[in-house]
Amino acid sequence: MEKDKELEALFLAQKPHFDDGDEFMKKLTKRLDAVEIVKQYQERTLRRYRIVIAVAFVVGIISGAASTIWLLSSPIELPSVNFQTQKAFLLWLVQNSRLLAAAFFPMLMTFAACIITSNVLEIIEMRQKMKEEYI
Amino acid sequence: MNREQFIACVEREQEAVRGFLLALCCGNRDEADDLAQDALVKAYLACSGFRDGGKFRSWLFKIAHNTFLSHRRSQQPPTISIDAVPIEALPQRGSGEGASDLYLAFATLPPKERSAITLFYLNGYSIKEIAVITETSQDAVKQQLSRGREKLREKLKIEN
Repeated sequence: MEKDKELEALFLAQKPHFDDGDEFMKKLTKRLDAVEIVKQYQERTLRRYRIVIAVAFVVGIISGAASTIWLLSSPIELPSVNFQTQKAFLLWLVQNSRLLAAAFFPMLMTFAACIITSNVLEIIEMRQKMKEEYI
Repeated sequence: MNREQFIACVEREQEAVRGFLLALCCGNRDEADDLAQDALVKAYLACSGFRDGGKFRSWLFKIAHNTFLSHRRSQQPPTISIDAVPIEALPQRGSGEGASDLYLAFATLPPKERSAITLFYLNGYSIKEIAVITETSQDAVKQQLSRGREKLREKLKIEN
């Protein structure tokens, strides 16, 4: 495409000159300092998130394994809980405690795994968003 | 690219970026400088991923252009029709180069045409480079250039 000479001359004649470059750079450096503080805070928050997730994961695994071991190692003829009562519902609970615990603990573990996964995904998304926002 | 390198590069390029944004903002120096600051902060946050050593200026222009467009979108100003308003009726800017007829005529162009014209005539970029900076096709850039040029010529002729 050919350049319109008149228009080009007009643009070049209007080419701006800035004599406040130092002031502009000072202002920019100040803003970059402020950005740096926010960036460090975000990085710290992300690190804290990661630690929390790791701890939750380890605690979940240990407590799940411990309760399963306790359930498997306790004698079958003895009830795992005893409410010292004759109420029908509580008696039913005592009689079926193993079955209920066997169902409850895996559910709890699954729930914990779901929360951990969602948090990990949230962090990944947050990092991506942070990157995209600044481009 | 670390902070010191970034600042050194920006010191070299700040005039070009500010000039580009000044033209896009039709001579409004305060607005242009605010946008330049925003664009350079964005560039700083993204500079760790910058690899294309020789094209730092184009990269800055791309960020500046996107910053300008998103600023325009957030403000939603009505684009003035080329035929609707004579130059005398357009809002006056500050003194100096901002008050020139060129900037006033420029205010009548849509932002994308403004970008294409500025990059082509003021900054001397080729159509291919403009397409990369503005993230459009070369055909679209050609169209924006020819439309913008016609409108500008028409407007400036009326003034003359």
